Amino acid sequence: MSVARRAPAAGRTSLAALSERLTPWLLIGPALGLLILFVAIPVVLSFVASLYQIPLTGLQWKFVGLANYAEAFADAGVRQALWNTVLYSAMTIVPGILLGLGLALLIESFSRGRAVLRTLLFLPVTANLVAMAIVFQWIFGVRGGFINELLALVGLGPVNFLGSGTTALPTLAAVGIWRYSAFNMVIYLAGLTTIPRAIHEAAAIDGIRGLTKVRKILWPLLRPSTIFVTVITFIQSVQVFETVSVMTGGGPLGKTQTLLFAIWQQGFWFFRLGYASALSFILLLVTVIAGLIRRRAISSTDVV
Amino acid sequence: MNDRRVRALTLSRWAVTAFCVVLALFPFIWMIRTSLVPADEVYVVGLRLLPEKMTLQNYQRAWEEARLGQAMLNGFIVTFGILILQLLTVVPAAFAFARLQFRGSTAIFLAVVASLLVSSQVTAVPNYITLSALGLVNTRLGLIVPFATSAFGIFLIRQYIVATPIELLEAARLDGLSTLRTLLHIYLPVARPAISAFAVFSFVVHWNDYLWPLLVARSQEIYTPALALAKFNVAEVGRDFGALTAGAAIVTLPAIIAFLIAQQRFVEGLTGGEIPG
Repeated sequence: MSVARRAPAAGRTSLAALSERLTPWLLIGPALGLLILFVAIPVVLSFVASLYQIPLTGLQWKFVGLANYAEAFADAGVRQALWNTVLYSAMTIVPGILLGLGLALLIESFSRGRAVLRTLLFLPVTANLVAMAIVFQWIFGVRGGFINELLALVGLGPVNFLGSGTTALPTLAAVGIWRYSAFNMVIYLAGLTTIPRAIHEAAAIDGIRGLTKVRKILWPLLRPSTIFVTVITFIQSVQVFETVSVMTGGGPLGKTQTLLFAIWQQGFWFFRLGYASALSFILLLVTVIAGLIRRRAISSTDVV
Repeated sequence: MNDRRVRALTLSRWAVTAFCVVLALFPFIWMIRTSLVPADEVYVVGLRLLPEKMTLQNYQRAWEEARLGQAMLNGFIVTFGILILQLLTVVPAAFAFARLQFRGSTAIFLAVVASLLVSSQVTAVPNYITLSALGLVNTRLGLIVPFATSAFGIFLIRQYIVATPIELLEAARLDGLSTLRTLLHIYLPVARPAISAFAVFSFVVHWNDYLWPLLVARSQEIYTPALALAKFNVAEVGRDFGALTAGAAIVTLPAIIAFLIAQQRFVEGLTGGEIPG
């Protein structure tokens, strides 16, 4: 099928043959050039820039070696951001998986109206996160907020959800769960369609249904979906930004500081692009390693 | 199972479903509801679903004070600018990787797939450095250019084309079509479902993007909707959630509409190739 190899035989090498041979390169050229400029070079650049001290304005770079990394690992704020990421992931992954799977099974249990349900339940993923963060800020508000009005009905509160160090991160995690479980649901729905009908029939014959069927049959078969969802949720939680930026600004006292938010603060608030590059490179390593783990884990089950 | 048990099960399943739908949609419901409450009543209407007096003045305030008209226009310019450039670069590349053989094609395609591991958040700082060197900070072009192609789009559309029968290509060859004509007249129509899935996906993602505009857009004239809304949230010291939720509703709407129009394809696009099925 090769265009090049099907080119006219020797002696008839014409302009047309040459242009056919060049065509693939013309077709991939623009995309390739842009990927090199905006993905490959930035990967290298974030490492190179991390070895320098760079002011936001002007391009006078000053070589500082690994000083930015030394600072990052000594920085209590960075360590707190990493710790917060771990906590946030821990709070979102399991509920996100259970709710996502639960919603998918719920939708599957209907014979009609599946498409409508899926659309409605998927809306959280398509909504603008800045807009939703503002709405959640209001819902969790101390004065007049929906949750506190509810709590007042039973004589509790008010709770300063976003202003208190103990509740701020769990509140952001609740917003995360709201969004991730909708995404996870779609992944599980796709996973469920790959389970052969014969397995459902065999289970029915053996009288296996309900939670037993989920636990003994579906859960093991959905392992690739679960791995996918776990890693994606982790990668997303390392990169949580909108809700932190809008709802808490990393506070109170850094309790909701995340790695991406720290990068933004360092680079564009304190104007330290070199240091922000070092943090970006750490973020890059964390997300790439997580992505590779996902690929290995999924391909080892021979499904993808 | 007897009749009564079946009915109880059906009923509880409906109850659970209704509860889940309300929970998923609650922020939207509360957003619309609050946006209709007159400014002086926002903090006193409590839990009532609909206020006695309803108003649209919050929408007017948000539109004017957050300068949402300009921001929405910018949003459309930027997202469609990105989309057009992506389609121009992604579709030909996807076709070439799927159906043409050239030296190093497999290796290059694997490199493209590998680049999916690198998110735009991770490259934001170095890309900012590149853009400031190119003098594109605080320009609309600077909001568009870094997203002018998409490895995800190449992957998605390539997978779709690979799954089409090879006879298509052979027929085109027999008819003596050039490679370019084969792309334009055969594969462009054939790959339409994948292309439109990607288009909606791209629109929603870039309409909702916040981090990159936050870094690049400095003057209000080029704010995108999410950025204008976030700045309005910071500036709105009175915490008037009537106007804030009205602004949130305006900004949310276009992506939701795009999703609803093509929801089937969007979901397939999002999960396509990443997951079996």
